[in-house]
Amino acid sequence: MKKEQQELLEAAKKSIISFDADKAKEIAKKGLALGITPAVIISEGFVPGITEVGDLFDRGQLFLPELILAAEAMKAGTSICEAALPKSELKEKKKVVIGTVEGDIHDIGKSIVVSFLMANGFEVYDIGRDAPIANFINKAREVNADVIGSSALLTTTMEGQKKIEEELKEAGLRKKVKTIVGGAPCSQGWAERIGADAYAENAVDAVIKIKALTGLS
Amino acid sequence: MAKILQRMGDGRMVEMTEAEVRKDIEEGTKDAAGRAKVPPLSEDEIKHISDIYTRPERIVSVEPGNEVVLSHDEGTVKINAGVCGGAGLGIDCGRMVASELYERALGADIIEYGHIDYSYKPIRPILADERILVERTLLVTTAPFLYGAMPNLGLYTQPEGPFPNPTELLNKGLIKEARESGEGMVEQAVNDIVYIASGIYEAGADAINLDTTGAFGDLDFVAALTATERLKKKYPDICIEMGMAGEFILGIHGAITYDGVRLAGLYSHQQVKLAEKAGVTIFGPVCNIVTSKSCAWNIARVITFTKACVKASKIPIHNNMGMGVGGIPLNDTPPVDAVTRASKAAVEICQLDGV
Repeated sequence: MKKEQQELLEAAKKSIISFDADKAKEIAKKGLALGITPAVIISEGFVPGITEVGDLFDRGQLFLPELILAAEAMKAGTSICEAALPKSELKEKKKVVIGTVEGDIHDIGKSIVVSFLMANGFEVYDIGRDAPIANFINKAREVNADVIGSSALLTTTMEGQKKIEEELKEAGLRKKVKTIVGGAPCSQGWAERIGADAYAENAVDAVIKIKALTGLS
Repeated sequence: MAKILQRMGDGRMVEMTEAEVRKDIEEGTKDAAGRAKVPPLSEDEIKHISDIYTRPERIVSVEPGNEVVLSHDEGTVKINAGVCGGAGLGIDCGRMVASELYERALGADIIEYGHIDYSYKPIRPILADERILVERTLLVTTAPFLYGAMPNLGLYTQPEGPFPNPTELLNKGLIKEARESGEGMVEQAVNDIVYIASGIYEAGADAINLDTTGAFGDLDFVAALTATERLKKKYPDICIEMGMAGEFILGIHGAITYDGVRLAGLYSHQQVKLAEKAGVTIFGPVCNIVTSKSCAWNIARVITFTKACVKASKIPIHNNMGMGVGGIPLNDTPPVDAVTRASKAAVEICQLDGV
């Protein structure tokens, strides 16, 4: 790759880290004009940027409002690239239904995961906190979801995540929809015990795992 | 090389070699030092933790004379919660009896009285009842008596509260609106905390505990600091313990300050300076467990953060050590091997005043 192209990809990354949506758009257009493929601009420019934003957030060096601004910059840059993709390469966004299980009103962790997923190009349906199990199932059916993410912050409410597995089976949707669990009392062991497809330790991990579940990595 | 039984952060038992345990401790301290920008543990400290975590005994302890103060947050609730499927012991007794059990049977040096909701907001309408129970319990106990609850600003968001949820507004890109909503929540929470703490203090409680401060990020922390400041002005002799929710302050507002310091992103050695300034008497730092890592890795992080906090602090530090915090795994009833190892290591290296 030419030096000019490498510099442009670096600038694309920086535009996300500096939350500069206008710059991200400008770089995307410039990159396309230079002959860099849209996929490369996204995967080697904007994605490393949002990944670094995630790392800074995880370390307490960057905060929710900045994360939102970074997500907007990401959306601005990638939308230019996606518009330039040939129709055959255009992929439908993966859909994630997410919520905090019934009886549990903790929603900060869930909301942060929503922010991260949106920043990483997922179509997210946030069904909120204290969400009845049926709402997870119905929403997944309605939007033809790829993944259901459930959060529980209490040992008393994490049973709801198990019920999601059971009710997905009853609804005949379990093979169609991947499941991921998170929240303070959850662990990989819990995910395995209830039959969930994955466990996420934090928001950054959730993005990595959901990308893996949906074949994006 | 011989294998030693170790625990992971989710409580699972695994086998590791001594070299693997040491490597985890080295990586844990490096991770924490890098995040909080504090010094990593010294070679002697790494060796000391390694010795504690590779001992074959099931339980370990400090030497006589090195014991520290032991308190239990939400203790009175944990005895009886579980009767209706909660996460407590399920022993059907009232909170007064639970307080006596903690003091007389379980060795608590400080007892904490809390309501099952354990948040300030729901206490407001039942304050009169709580005052009566506090007065009665004070008559049958002698240990220092804290009344505790969480600032829990999440309860001020819709539908439980009157304010639009800042995190949901943020996800819609409404940053200004999210901040304004958060600032309204802070004002209301401060009023509730001061009102309830005043009522309980005047009923005779020795101290007020603001537990799990920071659960709603910087908004939660500023509410707790402001409430502390107002309570200290009102009652100069009041004792206030502030226990935290995580290793750093999550920036939900992102720009909110206290005493000119931006709160988002502060680690425990920085949090404690503001707590001191507000008038906090005892500070309880927190480091949450990472379930996929070993307890040795986790305790190295805990001690790296907490040692820096103790060094920075002029007030007593009672480190949070329990289910999912302080290097103790996420078991409903934390295993004694993990609890005693984490406690010994933290007390001896950090020179804690209490746990």
